[in-house]
Amino acid sequence: MLPCTGRIDESLLLKAFENGADGVMVIGCLEGDCHYISGNIRARARVERVYAILERIKIGPNRIRMYNLSAGEGSKFAAFANEFVNQIREVGPSPINLVRGATKTEAVTAKETT
Amino acid sequence: MTGNLSTFSGSMQSPTGAVMVIGGGISGMQSALDLANAGIKVYLVESSPAIGGKMAQLDKTFPTNDCSMCIVSPKLVEVGRHKNIELFTHSEVKELTGNAGSFTATIVRHARYVDVGACTGCGLCEFVCPVTQLSYFPEVPAEGEKKSRAKAKVKRVIKGPGLPQPTSAHKWTFTVDDEACAMCGMCHRACLHGAISWEKKQKAVIDQAKCTGCGACLVACPEKFLAIKVADAPDLEKSIGAAVYARSVSLKKEFAGPEAQDCIRCGLCAIACEKVMNIGALKMVEEGIEAGVDICQVCGACVSLCPVNYLSIDQVTSRTPRPLLNRFNEGLNGRKPVNIHYPQAVPRVPVIDEKSCVQLNSGACGTCATICGVGAIHYDHREVETTVDIGSVIFSPGIEVFDARVRGEFGYGLYKNVLTSIEFERLLSASGPTSGTVARPGDGKHPQKIAWIQCVGSRDHSCDRDYCSSVCCMYATKEAFIAREHDSAIEPTIFYIDMRSFGKNFDQYVNRAKEHKVRYVRAMVSRVFEDPLTGDLELRYVDESGKRQREVFDMVVLSVGIQVSQSTKKLARKLDIALDRYGFAVTDCYQPLATSRPGIFVSGAAGGPKDIPETVCEASAAAEAASASLAEARGSLITIDALPPERTPGPDDELRIGVFICHCGTNIASVVDVDAVTAYARTLPGVVYAEHPLYTCSQDSQERMREIIGEHRLNRVVTSACSPTTHEPLFQSTLQQAGLNKYFFDMANIRDQCSWVHPNDPDLATEKAKRLTRMAVANATAGVPLDELEFAVDARLLIVGGGVAGMTAAVEAARQGFGVYLVEREAQLGGQLLNLQRSVDGRKFSDFLQTLTEKIAADERIRVFTSSEVVEQSGFVGSFQTDIVMPSGATRTLKHGAILVATGAEEYRPEIHGLGTLGHVMTQTDFGAVLENGSLDTRHHPSVVMLQCAGSRDEEHLAYCSRVCCNHAVKNGLRFKEMFPKARVDVLYRDMRCYGLGELDYRAARQAGINFIRFDPETNPVTINAGEAGIDITVTDPSIRLPVRLQPDLLVLSTGMKSRDTEELASMLRVPRNKAGFFIEAHAKLRPVDLPSEGLFMAGTAHGPKSSTETIAQAQAAVARVATLLSKKSLKMSGIVSRVDPTNCAVCLTCVRACPYGVPFINDQHSAEINPALCQGCGICVAECPAKTITMGRYDDRNIRAKIESYSAS
Repeated sequence: MLPCTGRIDESLLLKAFENGADGVMVIGCLEGDCHYISGNIRARARVERVYAILERIKIGPNRIRMYNLSAGEGSKFAAFANEFVNQIREVGPSPINLVRGATKTEAVTAKETT
Repeated sequence: MTGNLSTFSGSMQSPTGAVMVIGGGISGMQSALDLANAGIKVYLVESSPAIGGKMAQLDKTFPTNDCSMCIVSPKLVEVGRHKNIELFTHSEVKELTGNAGSFTATIVRHARYVDVGACTGCGLCEFVCPVTQLSYFPEVPAEGEKKSRAKAKVKRVIKGPGLPQPTSAHKWTFTVDDEACAMCGMCHRACLHGAISWEKKQKAVIDQAKCTGCGACLVACPEKFLAIKVADAPDLEKSIGAAVYARSVSLKKEFAGPEAQDCIRCGLCAIACEKVMNIGALKMVEEGIEAGVDICQVCGACVSLCPVNYLSIDQVTSRTPRPLLNRFNEGLNGRKPVNIHYPQAVPRVPVIDEKSCVQLNSGACGTCATICGVGAIHYDHREVETTVDIGSVIFSPGIEVFDARVRGEFGYGLYKNVLTSIEFERLLSASGPTSGTVARPGDGKHPQKIAWIQCVGSRDHSCDRDYCSSVCCMYATKEAFIAREHDSAIEPTIFYIDMRSFGKNFDQYVNRAKEHKVRYVRAMVSRVFEDPLTGDLELRYVDESGKRQREVFDMVVLSVGIQVSQSTKKLARKLDIALDRYGFAVTDCYQPLATSRPGIFVSGAAGGPKDIPETVCEASAAAEAASASLAEARGSLITIDALPPERTPGPDDELRIGVFICHCGTNIASVVDVDAVTAYARTLPGVVYAEHPLYTCSQDSQERMREIIGEHRLNRVVTSACSPTTHEPLFQSTLQQAGLNKYFFDMANIRDQCSWVHPNDPDLATEKAKRLTRMAVANATAGVPLDELEFAVDARLLIVGGGVAGMTAAVEAARQGFGVYLVEREAQLGGQLLNLQRSVDGRKFSDFLQTLTEKIAADERIRVFTSSEVVEQSGFVGSFQTDIVMPSGATRTLKHGAILVATGAEEYRPEIHGLGTLGHVMTQTDFGAVLENGSLDTRHHPSVVMLQCAGSRDEEHLAYCSRVCCNHAVKNGLRFKEMFPKARVDVLYRDMRCYGLGELDYRAARQAGINFIRFDPETNPVTINAGEAGIDITVTDPSIRLPVRLQPDLLVLSTGMKSRDTEELASMLRVPRNKAGFFIEAHAKLRPVDLPSEGLFMAGTAHGPKSSTETIAQAQAAVARVATLLSKKSLKMSGIVSRVDPTNCAVCLTCVRACPYGVPFINDQHSAEINPALCQGCGICVAECPAKTITMGRYDDRNIRAKIESYSAS
C-alpha cells in the first residue's frame, strides 16, 4: 500500500522481481483523477521503463502492468487481478525463479490507497 | 446578515457553545464537521438508523461521475469518530424551548434493541434471523391467562414432483429421555421411517440406524414432556434457532442450486415453526410437508431456512404474504426485521423493527440475541429522552422524492418496468439489489431501450409542484450515461421540457452524454402503456415538428422531483419556523440560511431544491451562521484528549512487537485460521506477543491493547484485521494513549482483502493472512517515530476582493472573532453589485451595500485596503505573508492564517447586435438601470425583446451557461410589465433555466403575458438586424410552427458573466483556474469553497456565475471553513512528509519540477528543501530523486523494501 503510485520507482519495481515475483501489477487512480494530480501518470511512465528493462534483460515481456481503477470498483479490481494472474501463468515463472529453482506463480501486488 | 441574531446579542447571558443539527445527510454532516472542527459541540439528530442521507443511496454523482459512496464514506467515518459530535440516530427532536443563544432541546432516541456501544457491526444477527415477512402474529394471551396455541383447521400438503428423499447429511442425533417420556407414542406416529419403536405403556426407543435425523419426533413430542433430546447439533448450546440456522447453512452448501429441488426431509421447516416460532403449522407427511395454512403466521422462516427452495411462501399460508422491503434499496429487495441500514452505514449497528420482529411481538424466536458474540441485543430497550442545551439549531432534514403514483398516466406502481430515478440509482449501484446489473424488475431481462421522463412532480401546477427540482436534468443525464457504461447495448432517451444544466461544467457533461449516444427528445410524454405480455412500454408524445409519436421502450425511468416530507413539515411546526406553500423553509435573500425563528438556520434542500455542492456549501454557511453568535463560547463544551508523554526509544532498544490477529466476529475467523496465524506471528523475528481478539476494535479490546503495550513493553504494534481506512486512526490513538509514537504501527487487511474475497479457500486464505501479517511486521520493524509538526496559527484572514462575497465574509469572519484584511482593487467596495439594482424580492441592492459598508467601517477587527493589489504571497496554512501595494505606491506585508479569494466576475459585453454603439440595444444590467432611473419614455408602451444566451453557451464567446441570465431576464421582464402592463415583451431563449423556486417567477412571467419563444442556434436561428433606424428580428416560433417578425423598441441582451483577469493572482497563490478563468475548487462535490491548497478558500463569482443570494451563502460557507483553521491555536501536520537530506542533494531541480504542488525549493544552503507544512505526502519526489536523498515517513524505500523482501521470504 502506498499513498500514491507516484511513490513507486523503478528500483522498487525491479526489487520485486529480484525477490522472486513473476509479475507485478501497479494499480493507481483513474487517469485524470489522481488524488495527487499527476502521480499515476508518472507511475505509468516508470512502469513502461521497467517493462523495457525487463525485455532487455530477457525477463519480460508482459510481466509488469499498470492498471487504473477508482476506489469503488471492487469487481473490476478482481477482474484485473484474474486477468493479470492468467497472463503471468501463460508467460510462466520468472527466469530468476527458474534459476533459483523456485516455481512460485504469484504476483506481487502494489495496491494504492487513496 | 446579523439581523437574525440581534435579539440575542443584546442580552447579557453568555451563549451555549453547542449546536443541534437536525438531519444526518450530507448537509447535516458537513455542518456538524465544520462546527465541531471550529470548537463547537454538536448534537447530530438523524431519524433513520444511520447517517448518510440521500447521497449514500446514489450510485455516481454528476458532473464528475465520482462514486457517491466512495466520496461520502470518509465523511461518514469522520462524523462517526468525531469526539465532539454526539450522534443521535434513530432519534427525533421532541421539543425545543428557549431563545437564540440558549435553547433546550428534548431528543427522543427510539428503541433500537441493539446496544450501539457494544455492537461491532458484524451483521451475524441479520444472517441468522429467519424472518422475511411482516407476520400475522398470534394474539398474546393476557397476563395470567393460560397460553394455548391455535390448532390448524385448514391443511394443505405441499408436494414436490417426486417423493421426499431423506438425507442424513449433517444430521442431528435424536434420543428419548427416559425420565421425561410419558409413553404417549406421538413420536412413534410421527416418524416416517419406522425408526421409533413404541408399545402402549412403554417408553419409545429410537433406532439410530434407521433415523435420518428429520426431527419429526422432536416436533411431535408434546411441549409438556419435551422427551426428545438432541445431540450433535452445532450451536445448540446457544439456541435451537441458532442450531437450525447452522444446519441450514451447511445443507445449503451441499444441496442448494439455482432451481428448486425436491424435499430432502431435513425437517428444519417444521422444527423452526414448532420450536423457534412456537406456531407448529408444519408437519412432515408421507408425500411432503403438511401446512396448517390458517394458523401460519407468515413469518417466512420456513422458506428462508429451507436449504433446497422446496417451500414457497404462497404455499404455506392462505393469508397474503407481506414481504419486508429494504428501504435503503427503495424496496427493490427484501430485508430482515433486524437490519443494518446499508453496508457502509455509520453507525454500522442494526435496528430491530418493532413491527416485524417475532421476539418483540410474540415472545418466540430470540435467535439473534443468542448468537450475538458481544451480547449487544436487548429486547427490553425502550425509547430514551435526552435534553441538551444548545445555542443554535441547524435544520437540514433533507427531502424525499415525489410519489410518482400521483401521475397515474405513467403507470408507476402498476407497470413493473416503470421505475423512479432513485430506484434506478439503486439498480446501478454496485452495492444495490442487483449488484449493479441493470435488469428489469418485472422479468430480470436486460433492457435495451430505456426512456427517462423529466419533470415528474416538478414544474407541474396540476399536482401543486410548481417549482423546478433543479437536479433531475443532471441526474437523468448521469443515469443514462452510467447505464451505458454498465451495458453498452443500452439506448437511453431523455424526454425533457428545458435542459437545465445550469451549474459549473454541467453543459459539458450533457454534451459528453450526447457523444456517448444519450438521445435527448424535447417532448412531454402524455402516457405510458404496458404490453401485458412482454412488459414493454409504449410512450406517446408529440415531437418538435408537431407529429404524434408512439415509441416502445423496455424500461421507463421517471425523473421524480424532490419534495418536503410530511414529517419534516410537522417538525418545522414543532420548531416554529415558517414554511412556504410547498414546505420549504422561508428565508431572506440577504440571509439565505436564517429561518423565521432567530437562532434556527436552514441548510440543504429543506430550504429549496438544490444539488450536492450547493447543499454542502449551504451546510458550511449554516454552520457559520449558527456559530457566529456563539463565538465567545467556542471551545467551552468540547473535549480534548490529553495524551501521556511519548516514550523515546533508545537506539539499542530490542525490538518488541505485539501482533493482534482479529476474528472480526466470524468475518475473518470463519475463513482464516486465526489460531494458526497467531502461532505463526509468534515465530516472526521481533514478535514478543501475539493474540487473537474476537473484535480487536471493541472498547474492551482497545483497553486491553493499551495495557498489553505497557505490560510487555511493546515498541511496535501490528494488527491484522480490517481496513486501515476505517480503523487505523483508532489503533493509532490507542498507541498514543499508551505512550507510543503512532507511526510504530502497521496494519494488514486480512478481512476485505483476504477472508471476504477467498471464502471458499480457507487454507490458502490462511497462508495469505500469514504473509500479509509477515509483511506488516516487516514494515513495522522498519518503522521510525515521526514527529507531527505543530505550529501556531495566525487568527487573521486575508480577503482578496471587496464585492458582496468579500464584504459578507469580512463581516462574518469578524463576528467569528477573527481579524480581517479586506483588499479591493477598486476605490470602492461593492464590486458587481454596484451595477445591479434590486434583489429578487424587489429590495434595492444599494441599501444592502450601505448596511454592509457601515458594518465593515464600524468593526475594528476589519482593515480595509481599497485601490490596493496583492503582489506577492508566501508561507503556508496558518502562517501566510502577503505583500500588497497600496494607492500611495507603498508595499505593506500582511500576516494571516488563511486566504479567501473573492475576486468576483463581471458582465460580459460582446460587440454583437450593436451593443455598445446603439442606444436601444443593451444588456440586462443596463436594462435594470434604465428601469430604475425612469429614463424610459412613459408616454407609449415600449416593446422589448430579450435575447437569452447572447454570448453564453457559444464557443465563440462564453462556452458555458452563466446560470443567472434566465432568472435575471424574468425578474426584469416582470418589473417592466409592472411598469408598462400593456407593453409587449418577447423573450427568445434556448432553455429557460429558472431552476428551483425561480420557476415560480417564470410561471408568473408567462401569466403576466410575457411571450417566450424558443430558438436554437443550429436548427432554428434568430436573425437580428439592429441599426440606428430600428431593430428587426425574425425567428420561427416552435409553439405555432410559424415564422414571426419582431420590431421592438428595445433589444435586451442576456450576455452572461465572465471571469475577471486573475491569472497573475492564481499563479501567485498556486491555485488552478478552469478554461473560462474561474477558480477550480478542491473537490467539485464535497469541497465547493476550498481551493486545492491548504488554507485557501474562495467564494462568490470567482468560483463561477451565481446569484447574489448564492454568493452570500458561499461567503458564509467560506468563513465556516476558515473558522475550522483559525479557531485553533496551533495546527498539527501529518508526520508522513518528504524530507531532503542535504548531504547528497545535487541541486538537480528534479524534485522542484516533479512536485505537483510546487513545494520543493532551493534554499540558501544550496540544497533542495521541502516545507513539511506544505508537503501533501504523495511521495512523487521521493521516487523521482536521482540521488535518493529524499525520504518519506512510513512509505520510505526502507519500508517498501522490507515489505517486498518479506513477501517472498517464508
